[in-house]
Amino acid sequence: MKLTRRSFGKLAGSGLAAATIPAVFSPAIAQSGPLKIGILAPRSGVAGTAGECGIRAVQWAAERMNKAGGIAGRQIQLIVEEETNPKDTIERFRRLILQEKVESVHGLISTGVSLGVAPVAEEERSLFVMWDGTTQDGVKETMPDPKFVFRSTDNECEAVMGSLLAVKHFKGKFKRVAGINPDYSYGRNNWEAFKQILTRFGVQAEFVAEQWPKVGTLDLTSHVAALKAEKPDLIFSSMLFADLPVFMKQGTAAGLFDGVKVVLPAAGWQLNQLKKEFMPDGVIFGHNTLYFDYADGSALQKAFVADYMDRYKEAPHWEADRAYFALAAYKAGVEAAQKAGGKWPTPDAVAQAIPGLDVESLGGKGRFRKDKIAEQVFYQGPSTNKNKYDFPTLASVDVFQADQLQKPPGVDFWDWIKTGKMPV
Amino acid sequence: MQGVVDVILGGAFHAAVLFLVAAGLQLVFGVQKIINLACGSFYALGAYFGITAVGIAMSLGLPAASFFPVVIAAGLLIGLVGFPIERVLRAVYRRDESYQLLITFGLLLMFQDVFRFVWGATPRTMDNAYLVYGVADIFGVRVPTYNLLVIAASIGIAVTLGLFLQKTRTGRIVRATAENRDMAEGLGVNVSKIFALVFTVGCMLGTVGGALVVPSSAASLEMAVELVVEAFAVVVIGGLGSMSGALVGALIVGLMRAASISIMPEMELLSVYLVVVAVLILKPAGLFGKVTA
Amino acid sequence: MPRISGLWVLAALIAVMAVMPFFASSYMLLMLLPFFGYAIALLGFNLLFGTTGLLSFGHALFLGVGAYTASTLTSKFGVLSYEAILLVSMLVSALVAVIVGALCVRYTKIFFGMLTLAFGMLFHSFLFKFYSVTGGDQGMRVLRPLLLGIDFGGGKTSFLIGPFYYYVLALFAVLGAVMWRITESPFGLHLKAIRENANKAAYVGVQIFRMRLAAFVISAVYGGVGGTILAITTGLADPELAYWTHSGNLVFMAVLGGSGTFVGPVIGALAFVTLQDIVMTVTQYWRFVMGAVLVLLVIFLPQGISGAFKMLFSRQSGGK
Repeated sequence: MKLTRRSFGKLAGSGLAAATIPAVFSPAIAQSGPLKIGILAPRSGVAGTAGECGIRAVQWAAERMNKAGGIAGRQIQLIVEEETNPKDTIERFRRLILQEKVESVHGLISTGVSLGVAPVAEEERSLFVMWDGTTQDGVKETMPDPKFVFRSTDNECEAVMGSLLAVKHFKGKFKRVAGINPDYSYGRNNWEAFKQILTRFGVQAEFVAEQWPKVGTLDLTSHVAALKAEKPDLIFSSMLFADLPVFMKQGTAAGLFDGVKVVLPAAGWQLNQLKKEFMPDGVIFGHNTLYFDYADGSALQKAFVADYMDRYKEAPHWEADRAYFALAAYKAGVEAAQKAGGKWPTPDAVAQAIPGLDVESLGGKGRFRKDKIAEQVFYQGPSTNKNKYDFPTLASVDVFQADQLQKPPGVDFWDWIKTGKMPV
Repeated sequence: MQGVVDVILGGAFHAAVLFLVAAGLQLVFGVQKIINLACGSFYALGAYFGITAVGIAMSLGLPAASFFPVVIAAGLLIGLVGFPIERVLRAVYRRDESYQLLITFGLLLMFQDVFRFVWGATPRTMDNAYLVYGVADIFGVRVPTYNLLVIAASIGIAVTLGLFLQKTRTGRIVRATAENRDMAEGLGVNVSKIFALVFTVGCMLGTVGGALVVPSSAASLEMAVELVVEAFAVVVIGGLGSMSGALVGALIVGLMRAASISIMPEMELLSVYLVVVAVLILKPAGLFGKVTA
Repeated sequence: MPRISGLWVLAALIAVMAVMPFFASSYMLLMLLPFFGYAIALLGFNLLFGTTGLLSFGHALFLGVGAYTASTLTSKFGVLSYEAILLVSMLVSALVAVIVGALCVRYTKIFFGMLTLAFGMLFHSFLFKFYSVTGGDQGMRVLRPLLLGIDFGGGKTSFLIGPFYYYVLALFAVLGAVMWRITESPFGLHLKAIRENANKAAYVGVQIFRMRLAAFVISAVYGGVGGTILAITTGLADPELAYWTHSGNLVFMAVLGGSGTFVGPVIGALAFVTLQDIVMTVTQYWRFVMGAVLVLLVIFLPQGISGAFKMLFSRQSGGK
């Protein structure tokens, strides 16, 4: 997507309004021109590959929607900015809404960044739809009742599903459990959720080893050795960066997985790097909201996957679905609000229209709840290496809806996990 | 017993790679008094290029078992990029050392985007080619033979480097230039040539390190920035400018990390820093360091 | 033509900044707040680098200290007075600086740079690791503070570009004047002597270690203040503030503006913030461009923008 050019002279001259007027976010005055949407996603660093997938997907979505007439008749124009650390990302976010005057911002993958940006979005009254990055901690205090910020499904959904499937497929077949998770909030919450679900379903297991490698560590030989020394029957790992394929590789080489059940709830992100040579069979493999090879997938999904694989020579993962869903939900909200109001809707109107609207995303139907948290469809299952690709696919697919995996509105996650209704 | 062997093998493997990068740093500092913040970038460059080279070699039909020499050759080849980079650095040799540090930081930033442009944001891995050498059993611990090859290669390089510096004529000239550059120049040494040689060898040590490690690991965009911290820890512990310091420092960092992972995983992140602080308090010049101020 | 004193240039800059809110867009003003934070931090940094000759590659440590002090006080202890936040962050920065400095200032040049980098990263790891206290990767919220005891209410942006902007501008003016006095004082002259020739300075009785440590502590205090400004503007204190590449950016700013003059680093902060904004808008490969700018800067314009100006003026007035 072409980025808007600005020169410093233009910047200096463009400031006219007295700055003491509160900066109320207002959509572009020209309501027949292109509809500018800001995209904030990582392009480098540990999450660069995920951001790249999302950006590609939202570009595909915008092209497609534009061919069909755009959003309520206006052509979509994407303005892409890079997500880096909280401070700099907030600055780029402010640029998008104050300088580029976009009508909505979509994106964000990192938890820390989303916790920083969300309050700014609320303050600026700007419609913000997150792709990812929602954990339990800190969310309650920062945003008890958001008006403009739409959050993705909880980060822990995949851990909950993976744990449930571990109980479903492996119950009774393991006694010693080991975990290796990235040393930050996501890894910690996933592991904790897994332990609690096992306890809740009365699985008699001993937690024999826990490893906490730094995010993105590329030398895991010592971790593999430490895990192996404890002779686990089941290994749970929520690693999802470059460290995951390295772990599988080095683990296989050391014989860590011989006769061991493996649960990888977030493996989908690294799908293309998890080569068959070092992936055991029967791994509980998490694809989150998009399983590219799903036989029962919609025509939309199949078209997307075909285009994506043809163009980029690799399989898309769930970030693509998140990006598509954000744009599709926004489109639905704008069109609904416009129909109801008869004119171009304000961000307020759109924000009120979106919750409850059923939207078809790449991975299936999804919607936003009243509390502006997403509900989507999740796909996981035991893996198989018998396929035409050089990475595993799913031998059988378990499909769960978000309301089976996600805490209901207003409920604390750790309370819900002990008592909530679960599909297994 | 098995646990101890695990720690030693894991630590030695990590140390082997760290040593190569740290040795490159030490060599360049010792002779040219430059600290190369982009040492991590050369490491990453070797890793990425190693994957590309092996890919090309395999598609040309070379047998899988040949990939070890391919990887080393790839590392050496891409290390030649040190020559043009050294030419750029020439502009700042006579300047304050701070500027040299800065220019290498600029190179680091540039390299990050070069990697993204050429190889993309997705981490790159080789498939399990490295298992073609099989698996060895050492005191009951199953370790890929490749890991042992890497340790051996690193030792080999260390010995070769040591012999070169101690026994050969060029090596002596290099050491003389390190001791006193102006005197060496006065005695007729072509210092420019020596600098070009030393910097390129320093780069090669980094690129070979990256190329060696990537078959069992992966190449990713942040590996350069992350490695700088560990390499610096090695140099601070071992002492600036000392090759033996690089060796001992790398061993200490590698073994500390492996031991911490085995015994107290939560301390993995901080264990190395603790050693650094301890060394700073007890023997500030580093274990083998000489002049630091 | 008389030599233009750095203090006058600073005053002119402050005057320009004071009238900015009448011309500039909200976005530009919001961009100026981090500039102030960096400018203050750089005044401190340059006391260490330009005046004393010590290059720190870990100055972002103190940005982090200031930021986390602000976040701890506001969100953990409910202390909302910005004056209290400033005071505490200065104290904490000074304390940390005494400890870290005692270990580092014995060494100069490259080794000092390496050590400060290591300590900066140690702090970063600490912030990351002790998540129950610091929030880990998710950071800690920084609530809006009371300025002079007044709760300004209204939207966050109008607070930032209104009352907070002027408060910070005044803070910058005061701290700038103080730093000017420090660099022109006998203490400052001793530091310059140490930079020129440490041995000679020691010979005439200058207490090298103590002077350097003092400079380090002062620079840390300025860094802490800068950190609070960054944190309040962002609304969040996160570990990446202390990452070593952030320290690298500080050095970049100082050299860009010219570390040889008093006001150079401040100009560098402004230039860097503006440049990065433009470059990031124009290309996704902005790291490459910024890196190239740094390389070219060091090779062709090491005295920075202000140094170039100084050369230009001295040439015009007949040179010295």
